[in-house]
Amino acid sequence: MILLAVASEIVIGAVYPLSGNLAKVGTDIKDAVELAAEIVNDDVDLPVPLGKGKGLPGVGGARVRVVFADHQSSPEKGLSEAERLITQEHVVALIGSYNSNVTATASQAAERLKIPFLNETSTSPLLTARGFKWFFRTTPTDDEFSDNFFKFLKTRKGVKRVALMYENTLFGSDVSRFEKRYAEKYGYEVVADVAYDAKSTNLTSEIQRLKSASPEVLLQTSYTSDAILSTKTMKDLDFRPQAILAMDAGHVASEFVPALGKDAEGIISREVWALGLGAKKPIVARVNDLFRKRTQASRGAPVDMDGTSARAFVGFLVLCEAINRAGSTEPEKIRAALEATNISAEALIMPWQGVKFDPKTHQNALGSGILVQIQDGKYVVVYPFELAQAEVRWPLAAWK
Amino acid sequence: MRPRTSGLSLQAAVALLAAAVLGWPLIFRGPYPQHIMILILLNALLGTAWNILGGFAGQISLGQAIFFGAGAYTSTLLAQHAEISPWIGLVAGALVAIVIAIAIGGPCFRLSGHYFAIATIALGEIAAIAVTNWDYAGGAVGLFLPVEGTGLAQMKFDDKRGYHYVICALLVLALAVTVWLRGARAGYYWRAIREDQAAARSAGVPATRYKLLAISISAALTAMAGTFYAQYVLFIDPPSVLPLSLSIQICLVAVLGGAGTLLGPLLGAAVLVPLSAATSVLLGGSGRSLDLVVYGALIMVIAVFEPSGLVGLWRRISATVSRN
Repeated sequence: MILLAVASEIVIGAVYPLSGNLAKVGTDIKDAVELAAEIVNDDVDLPVPLGKGKGLPGVGGARVRVVFADHQSSPEKGLSEAERLITQEHVVALIGSYNSNVTATASQAAERLKIPFLNETSTSPLLTARGFKWFFRTTPTDDEFSDNFFKFLKTRKGVKRVALMYENTLFGSDVSRFEKRYAEKYGYEVVADVAYDAKSTNLTSEIQRLKSASPEVLLQTSYTSDAILSTKTMKDLDFRPQAILAMDAGHVASEFVPALGKDAEGIISREVWALGLGAKKPIVARVNDLFRKRTQASRGAPVDMDGTSARAFVGFLVLCEAINRAGSTEPEKIRAALEATNISAEALIMPWQGVKFDPKTHQNALGSGILVQIQDGKYVVVYPFELAQAEVRWPLAAWK
Repeated sequence: MRPRTSGLSLQAAVALLAAAVLGWPLIFRGPYPQHIMILILLNALLGTAWNILGGFAGQISLGQAIFFGAGAYTSTLLAQHAEISPWIGLVAGALVAIVIAIAIGGPCFRLSGHYFAIATIALGEIAAIAVTNWDYAGGAVGLFLPVEGTGLAQMKFDDKRGYHYVICALLVLALAVTVWLRGARAGYYWRAIREDQAAARSAGVPATRYKLLAISISAALTAMAGTFYAQYVLFIDPPSVLPLSLSIQICLVAVLGGAGTLLGPLLGAAVLVPLSAATSVLLGGSGRSLDLVVYGALIMVIAVFEPSGLVGLWRRISATVSRN
């Protein structure tokens, strides 16, 4: 009879943008989370947390089940969907939500209803600054990434003038504030500061402004469709700085290179992850193979993992690892287990030193970023130099 | 005797409905059904406010988000920077919205027909961009309200029942204002303006003044809804309180329900909100945007088969029933 008291299935809620202009990103994340759940539930010979053995041994071998909800990039929907998952679907923990402003409200619901919320893909530093008790974040923040950018720029001689271009919601404008701060700290002149609407269908005047400021380096923060549109517009208007340093998101989405082909060459982006890490970490290639198989089955064409899906994959495993250690589906025990998380670098497909949450902010203290450059249609790790696969190509080639 | 009985049964139905709405959070204890009902009431309030301007006075506004945002931002900024109670913020937001409404109405009421609607779209977009670039109001980052410090005085509650009754009260206020004005001189003037403004003017109706009255009342009620939203979600940013999609949704609620009728916006909200929630719960997790397709298709079906709105459908059904 004691066995009956142990949950045979653990339900985890996942709130993501599954429709609208971020649907593609959301679908990538969904596949990654489902893959992670499959690895937890089946006996897979991988050195990731819970790879070997079926289910969660700490919770009587219970399987995990993920219930997805679509927040349509709306903070209000994020809040209500989080509430619905907690109260109607009885999820023991939540994971999500990509858009920083939706993560803000969805995690509020979790905080109020006392359910752990693991955030793996939102990088706004404000989120962990709130000091929530139930909120945990595995990914490094924009603050750390911006610092990364400038540390890299310092290694290039003769760069003085930088321009900023960013989408004008929480994500982009937050990033721009850090970039401005670090530009000042590291002694660069900001010659243009261009905010724009990510849903915009025309970016001509924005690119025109950048061009007339003639920066040496452009720091860009965009979502997917606007990243593609802005690159095309730069070509049309013949705007070509020495380098474009992009802030992840759209510039590393899986359709960015296919949509632009040669025009994407040479763009540098910060990343938390790249396929190229496989050179140093064989586990990366193995997980990616599984992801390709999964997307082949679900969409008819294989898709490679990217920084977003990799982070979602790892985030979900971190959450399951904590639930397993908690040995219970009680939220308070899961929360305590998350606080005690200490995963080493070897068990991750990330370039991080591991996962360990800061006791006060619950921000992963061991995260760090990398820079990748699109070389011959592939994202190649170029920084930090000890993880690099190839030399940086600098400057960008002229438009043809 | 038939009309009398049907009148009585209508009253009984309304009373029953009111009782159901008031009792809802006591019957349904889960936050999700309570949330859906709050959304219905919020949308009913927004639709009712739109209806005064669009339904009765015939001025189609697609910029109601401006007033909604004015209410949300006024109360939130007052609370953040001066620790002023959101109840005072609610009134202040309504006053700010009235000032904005008069500033908009003054020049824009010179435009007739579709041009007024187009102007309100443009003004709504301008407002969204302006606030996005306004650092004092949080800019694109938006404003967080602290989660702690709950109570009626703070218009912030630990469970949703408090919110439920606040929004009920605001909706009753909006309906009372509508009933009162509909029967007063303003109501007759508005209908005259809606049917033929030139004829109304020549009959001595001060058209501009009464249109300004309509937009002011509509704006004030919409702003109150905005303050309520900010207190409810505790986070506002331009994409959540100032988007064009919100202005369109407000118009949709009233028009789909039946513009120019008292019950139209209520019916519209009662159908649209659960429809949107149901499609997103049943189909939203698939990642194929099916929910939005189905939602859109259902709206089209209603619009095609009953252009006078759900109220028209209701009348047709009740007419058929009473004939038989």
